[in-house]
Amino acid sequence: MKTIKGLIKKDIFNLASYKMSLLILLICMCVMGMASSSMVNYIPIIAITMVGMIALSTFSYDDISKSNTYILSLPTNKKEIVLSKYIFIIAMIIIGGILGVIITPIVIQIMNAIHPEEIIAVDFHAIFITTLGGMFGISLVEAIQIPSIYKWGAEKGRIQMFILIFALILLIVGIGYLVTKIGIGINMEMIQNFLDKFGIPILIISIIMMHYISYKVSYKIYCKKEG
Amino acid sequence: MENVIEVKNLHKQYNDFELKDISFTIPEGSIVGLIGENGAGKTTTIKSILNIIHAEGEVNIFGKDHKTYEKEIKKDIGVVIDDSFLSEYLNAKNINRIMKDFYEDWNEEKYFEYLKAFGLPTNKMVKDFSSGMKMKLKIATAISHNPKLLILDEPTSGLDPVVRNEILDIFRKFIEEDEKRAILISTHITTDLEHISDYIIFINKGNLVFKMPTQDLLEEYGIVKCSENDFHRIQKEDYIAYKKEKYQYEVLTENKEKFKNKYSITTIDKPTIEDIMLFYIKGGK
Repeated sequence: MKTIKGLIKKDIFNLASYKMSLLILLICMCVMGMASSSMVNYIPIIAITMVGMIALSTFSYDDISKSNTYILSLPTNKKEIVLSKYIFIIAMIIIGGILGVIITPIVIQIMNAIHPEEIIAVDFHAIFITTLGGMFGISLVEAIQIPSIYKWGAEKGRIQMFILIFALILLIVGIGYLVTKIGIGINMEMIQNFLDKFGIPILIISIIMMHYISYKVSYKIYCKKEG
Repeated sequence: MENVIEVKNLHKQYNDFELKDISFTIPEGSIVGLIGENGAGKTTTIKSILNIIHAEGEVNIFGKDHKTYEKEIKKDIGVVIDDSFLSEYLNAKNINRIMKDFYEDWNEEKYFEYLKAFGLPTNKMVKDFSSGMKMKLKIATAISHNPKLLILDEPTSGLDPVVRNEILDIFRKFIEEDEKRAILISTHITTDLEHISDYIIFINKGNLVFKMPTQDLLEEYGIVKCSENDFHRIQKEDYIAYKKEKYQYEVLTENKEKFKNKYSITTIDKPTIEDIMLFYIKGGK
């Protein structure tokens, strides 16, 4: 467990060189959120996406320094190396979410102070749902991208990821098209009720499952790979 | 004297390269040089020993199988790899905090002492270091947990003679501090090894050519310089390889005394390790 801590520390210290960029991103995020009242709702999504993507950049740091070979010479193993990456990335997604939840009401208060004629109410339930949705989205992207990076490297993995996501979108659109073409009746109200009742637990379980499966796949790929 | 490393029939097959059943041992208290031209199989051998790449064969380190006891074994090994390190975007202080988590025996005080002795800054990023500074930092990191074995892949490549000499001094001191320690150095700068190594392992095109005490190699081998007529008198089994120069033949023999007595040729020079390596690689037979 201590070696996992060491591996996570390496990633954190690597990102420390990002300090200024992170601060600028945070300010940009707030400014973007202030663009309109409807944009405010997207702050958690923007925060999670930015932080999640920054977390993924640690793979590029490893590639530049060719650190994988060196790390494999240390008293650790491939399981701990892969696990540490997932722990770090999941932690970053959660931090992104918390950041979004904290920043959104602050931005709303600032906007209300600037435009007292257009008061926006702070809806914590909506912020929470948007945050969870954002976490689901970035988890899906990263669950696909991390195994791709382990397979093809940080640079190639990014291209492969876009292909995979494009294929996924095509599949979903295709299924939707088929459903309408065949004429299967969809009771939207029923779906809405179902989502209201079980949406949050489904999202949380999906996020956990996606990362778990992604971790298993990544570990399998990394075991076959030679340093 | 016990062996720190025992390698038996190490075999690795790539599409365009094969490491062919390499076997050797590294006794405690010794500095062993692994030599060979680029692409000969030195790094493949080192990576296989460290289980970074999967090779067939048997490798025991400290008497234990390197795969079964991988983590345990690696606690007592310090590694320097020429083109790979933790990260270019860390400073020496960051490295200390990370390494503490990898090694129970990490000696923070000793690490900073080494940094001071090597004149390395603690707050500067590794990417801003010169090649010599980077190498010194890698060495300081490799020896600060009191390892029993150092495995070094090209630790002096690309460095100027002054820095190379300083680094060789570090290795010498490391062995002198504890006679149970051992060092395996892979390099193609063979002059470094003449000064510090006890044994030389020579790999060529994936084959183990020899493993010999350095002193024997330098004392017993000889380069015979002779005329074409003399060369044609020499039996093939009495030399390893020859080179045809502009005005003479040069012949590498593994027993210069025997050669002197048999052929009455007195112009026999003492070879360097580089000479020997070149004869094996480029010489004719």
